[in-house]
Amino acid sequence: MFKKLCVLAVLVALVAGGVISATPQAQAQDDGLIFGVVLVGPKDDHGWSEAHYNAGLYVEENLPGSKMLLLESLNAADRPETTLEQVVEGMVEQGAQLILTTSADFEVDTPVVAESYPDVVFVNVSGDDAFWGIAPENVGNFMGQMEYGEMIAGCAAALKTQTGSLGYVGPLIDPETTRLVNATYLGARYCYENYRGMDPNELTFGVTWIGFWFNIPGVTLDPTDVSSKFLDDGADVLISGIDTTEALVVAGQRAAEGEAVWAVPYDFEGGCEEAPDICLGVPYFNWGPAYLKTAQAVADGTWVQSWEWNPPDWDDLNNPDTTAVGYIMGTGLSDEETATLEEFIAALAAGAKGEEGGLNLFVGPLNFQDGSVYLEEGEVATPAQIWFAARNADEAETPEDVNPPQLLEGIEGTSE
Amino acid sequence: MDVTSTLRGIVRSAAPIVIAGEGELITERAGVINLSLDGSIMLSAMTAHAVVRETGSLPQAVLAAMAVGAAIAFIVVFSSIALKLNQVAVGFVLTILCADLAIFLGKPHFNKPGKEMPAAPIPILEDIPLIGPVLFKHNLLIYFSLVLIVLVWFYIYRTRPGLTLRSIGDQPEAAFVRGTRVQFWRYVYTLAGGALVGLAGATYSLSVKLGWKEDLSGEGWIALAIVIFGLWMPWRVALGAYLIVGLRSVAIDLQDSEVIDLPAQIVNMLPWFLMIITLMLATSGVLEKMVRFTPDRFKPTVRRFLRAAPPRALGTTFEKH
Repeated sequence: MFKKLCVLAVLVALVAGGVISATPQAQAQDDGLIFGVVLVGPKDDHGWSEAHYNAGLYVEENLPGSKMLLLESLNAADRPETTLEQVVEGMVEQGAQLILTTSADFEVDTPVVAESYPDVVFVNVSGDDAFWGIAPENVGNFMGQMEYGEMIAGCAAALKTQTGSLGYVGPLIDPETTRLVNATYLGARYCYENYRGMDPNELTFGVTWIGFWFNIPGVTLDPTDVSSKFLDDGADVLISGIDTTEALVVAGQRAAEGEAVWAVPYDFEGGCEEAPDICLGVPYFNWGPAYLKTAQAVADGTWVQSWEWNPPDWDDLNNPDTTAVGYIMGTGLSDEETATLEEFIAALAAGAKGEEGGLNLFVGPLNFQDGSVYLEEGEVATPAQIWFAARNADEAETPEDVNPPQLLEGIEGTSE
Repeated sequence: MDVTSTLRGIVRSAAPIVIAGEGELITERAGVINLSLDGSIMLSAMTAHAVVRETGSLPQAVLAAMAVGAAIAFIVVFSSIALKLNQVAVGFVLTILCADLAIFLGKPHFNKPGKEMPAAPIPILEDIPLIGPVLFKHNLLIYFSLVLIVLVWFYIYRTRPGLTLRSIGDQPEAAFVRGTRVQFWRYVYTLAGGALVGLAGATYSLSVKLGWKEDLSGEGWIALAIVIFGLWMPWRVALGAYLIVGLRSVAIDLQDSEVIDLPAQIVNMLPWFLMIITLMLATSGVLEKMVRFTPDRFKPTVRRFLRAAPPRALGTTFEKH
């Protein structure tokens, strides 16, 4: 009996040890801003969540006395027992005055929880409740203009492909992910036609949605399998739209076996690290400046609700203090391809600044997959039309009125 | 869709499930249930990745993972035989413990580039159309998963020690009376099975998924399920693994299908569904009836294929009287 008890006690202690080490650790400080960051994935995912974590560190560095409270991996698979409300409660108890909920997965819960804490500022990253004015006054949103990053990613893929077939590993279907796929596709088409001199209608561009932002065994499709499948079916460049790096890893494995394949990861500045040789570069979010601006405003008491869609710094695309979205060139590109990509970026920059001869790819004629018109001939998409990947975005008065997002005609894969 | 590369992908992705399934089959055939597979696979996968990052040695990584799998199996069999604890309860606790431990201990190596088992295509054979790329263009771990099926089958059904293995799982008392050291062999087979489970973990992190991304939970349960689906027979366990992984592959294709709208979750559900159906068929006597209705000529074959009985002493402890 004693032996059994011992074994049990050791097991319990080990399990408890594992649980305790996973809870947020932080001490309240007397002065300085305390802000909470809620991540949907782990802080070292080499993707979306890591980029947010780094932004939190950036605030701690640049706003004296500030202190981040971190909660990683808040999602139904990793923490089925934890709700956003509980997390927020804990963070507020520890003195948080600003809480960033950094996933579309928290978009619905954030305004609801925020109602209970009117003195705390909430920012849901990537959401649009503040855009509609339906959120409580203490809830704001920001996002980076990743469309540009994805156009560059698409271009890089199109410059490289030998088979004329690209595979996009997508997360779940919503307006954000749909517009990003559309942007990637537009970039790829443009570069395939204008720099490669090929027929863009012969470019194959497939999307497979795994079902969440990252792999959840038993729930999503496995991004490793999805990536392999694309390569098996003839794609030679994988583009990742998910939070993690499976596409790059699989392409790296295949390349090691002698296949000519490449990948473009996503989200995180260091995204190429796991297979640099076949990496064509990475479009990434640089959340630091937006975090810092928000934290500063909250600390000063000057924060007001807003919905912000922050652009890249076109004069210095990878400036950590100014840009919201950047692109790190990959070593998988040849010098010539890199130069061409630079040229493309310069054209996009000119277009974004409204300069003569600048490039804007969200210009009609563009149709959706179901054949309906997205943009008429010569029509330039409004920000809302791009954001929602829907034609009627500007006429809609509530989110429900907006047509469901749709992929562009020519993309293989489902829109719903 | 390219059939060759799809099949090749299935052989590759199913390898760890085949290895873990065959390992668990050996353990269960000896009468012990090692329920810790899910956690064992995670912990051993993480171990292999960590070791290869620290030492750069693939053999060491594989051995370390196998040692981890065997060590966990040892806890199961020791607590069952020596401490007389309930195997299922201990295995279950170990599953959770090892999964958390893998995540906790693996943090320094999470998402860091590791090393891959080098491809080792078999000359000449790899050039055979269809079969070549599907079977003979892999690395050692994947080849091993294929060879293992034959080995386990041969060992269990064609050798004397295999007969003993079956007897200690089916009728430990009888085996004991014949002079078999039941407890000793249960230790041996549980450890061997556990080592294979550890090898399955290594196959994930050194080949199939490459690296450690904390996303292996569920694979161990699937391996456990296919042992039941396979009704404790090596070929059928392997078949189950290929079936499940094949379905996953189909699920990816189905997403674009206009005709069949089957979400991934449904496909992910199938292993459990198949497991229940199999168990129902196996225990309801339906299979026996099916044998009765087959023409006499095929009866022995069909009977052999459909015969279904879990090891009779599975999960029980054996006491020397």
